[in-house]
Amino acid sequence: MEISPKNRNEFRKLLRQNFARERDQLLPVLHFIHHEFGYLPDWAMEVTGWHLGIPASEVFGAATSYTELRVEPPGKHILRICTGLSCQSNGSKELLTEMEKKLGIQVGMTTPNADITLEETACGYLCGVAPAVQVDGVWDGHANLSKILGSLEKDNDDDS
Amino acid sequence: MTTPSSLLQQMVDIAESRNQDNRERTRIVVQVGHCSESVGAIQISKIIHAVEKSEIQVVTAGCDGACHEGPKVTITLPSGNHKIIPRTDEDTAYQIAGLIKTGVNTESPTDFFSSQSRIAMEGIGSIDPVSIDEYLLQGGYSGLAQALMATPDEVIATVKESGLRGRGGAYFPAAIKWDSARKSQGSQTYLIVNCEEGEPGIFKDRHLMEGIPHRILEGMIIAAYASGSSEAYIYVNAEADLSSKRLQGAVDQAYKSGFLGEKILGSSFSLQVEIRRGAGGYVCGEETTLLNTIEGYRREPRIKPPLPIESGLRANPTVINNAETLASVPFIMTQGPETFAKIGTDDSAGTKIISLSGAVERPGVVEVPMGTTLRQIIYDIGGGPIEGHEITTIAIGGPSSGVFPATMLDTKIAPGQLHESGVMLGAGGVIALDERTDVMGIVRHLANYNSNESCGKCTPCREGTPRIVEALDRMRYGNGSTADIEELRDLADIVELASLCGLGQAAGGPIKSALHFFGDEFNKLVNN
Repeated sequence: MEISPKNRNEFRKLLRQNFARERDQLLPVLHFIHHEFGYLPDWAMEVTGWHLGIPASEVFGAATSYTELRVEPPGKHILRICTGLSCQSNGSKELLTEMEKKLGIQVGMTTPNADITLEETACGYLCGVAPAVQVDGVWDGHANLSKILGSLEKDNDDDS
Repeated sequence: MTTPSSLLQQMVDIAESRNQDNRERTRIVVQVGHCSESVGAIQISKIIHAVEKSEIQVVTAGCDGACHEGPKVTITLPSGNHKIIPRTDEDTAYQIAGLIKTGVNTESPTDFFSSQSRIAMEGIGSIDPVSIDEYLLQGGYSGLAQALMATPDEVIATVKESGLRGRGGAYFPAAIKWDSARKSQGSQTYLIVNCEEGEPGIFKDRHLMEGIPHRILEGMIIAAYASGSSEAYIYVNAEADLSSKRLQGAVDQAYKSGFLGEKILGSSFSLQVEIRRGAGGYVCGEETTLLNTIEGYRREPRIKPPLPIESGLRANPTVINNAETLASVPFIMTQGPETFAKIGTDDSAGTKIISLSGAVERPGVVEVPMGTTLRQIIYDIGGGPIEGHEITTIAIGGPSSGVFPATMLDTKIAPGQLHESGVMLGAGGVIALDERTDVMGIVRHLANYNSNESCGKCTPCREGTPRIVEALDRMRYGNGSTADIEELRDLADIVELASLCGLGQAAGGPIKSALHFFGDEFNKLVNN
């Protein structure tokens, strides 16, 4: 679905078709929106509140309490570097610093052209193949700088 | 008369006849799991699946826990001879058919496997996780059939006798939870399988969910029967897509085969199950937080009491068991409680799955009897430090447990506390670090993690954990004094004593254990 508040009615219909109007459907609905848009747009959270019969403020409150849900649109590509202890002991902090330099941004930021969002994660649960790096949802174990740059480049080629 | 056992036997016979031809075929198993996917297993699997033909069967399995060997392929000839190909690359994958022709001699397992005792993980890496037939042919669901032929009270007595305790970190006796639920007066009792594995450094439940989801389901159905639950939720971590997919596949099959739904295996017991996904955050694994997130509230814990077992999901009695706990239950039912009780030590029965990582030669997921020493885990199984280095620090349990120096390597793993300074086994993470990692950096990292993950509901944790980080930073950047060390000690005590949930209560662990074992490092920082 196109990301547009104009879709409110269409979105309401979609929720009605797929989710019971019970509060315990909140997290499944948030997952659905996140999957659809890549983040949780304000207007979609408002519609969620309407559908489930709970205030939009509570939808927002719950949504922002989870670390895996975004409330702002990310860049076209999302690069996440794991900085858990195992990854750190296998050089992930250095990878993060290198990428900050290369992209000219700090961790948590998106490049000015909205191309790449750089994030760190506390654990990718790939401790056995550390260091681990994720590009657009796909994890790479035993990662290194040239592999990261390769995946980012490959994704850009796929886009064109 | 049809009994659950005779019904199961019929299903096994059908599975047997369906798979008869496979006995004559060479079997190639490609291990695809969360870890191996990240090192190319999907591509390897595609290449190898292309060679499947009448005399060759190709199966995708979960990873057997040897993360250092992924992507791994095993060839087994009808004669039983087999070959293991670790770290398979694309070239080798393309040549796989040729390898079969040149002959395969039986290889013995590596040191990584020979010192392990696998109960919950048995079969992982060799069977197809989404084939109920393969699970049945391994003796799957016979624990359930036996349970259904006994009364719930008998099942509870059996599990009580085995000494099984929860494997999620709190080590509460599993059967006691079931018993309290059974005796509660509520109209509805729920069972929740806690697969919200969100602790950095811990990746064992993923291996169970990806490798042998039916065993978790079997344990879950037995637990539901014993506790009198008719509805179950399996709560899976946000970052475990493959786990969720394979579990869903197993759930669908279990419904189709009559292991879930109405009148399971012809008995009067019925169970409905739904998979729910988390959305990130360490505190989600905390029992009452998990209840809030299912009900559609903020990700924060509730005040205890009441315990979930008294008033949990929708204010009904709720049993919450970890995936690993449940995966041990079928073994107890089929092999008998005394067999399980004999494994491990006198006061802690059974095995524990350890997530071993860090700067070791052979990181991976390891199942060992309780009472195994850290040295055996890190050196015998994990192969010790990377060549040219030495293990100096071991982070145990997870982000809120503690750190050991190498002198503590002979500590035996046991439920709960491993050392009075607050080092706990927790969910069983062992991260071995060498001299290249600065211990104060580790402590800062763990403290910062706990501070970031604090949900903010209670003051001691919300305010205390950031102040721990601040004090550490003052010291690390040369502005610290001995008063900071005292403050750290106080703060660690306060968050431990006064926090609402287990996350806060354990957040002082890394600080207290570091002060105990690495006090000199702290003193060095304030004296310079």
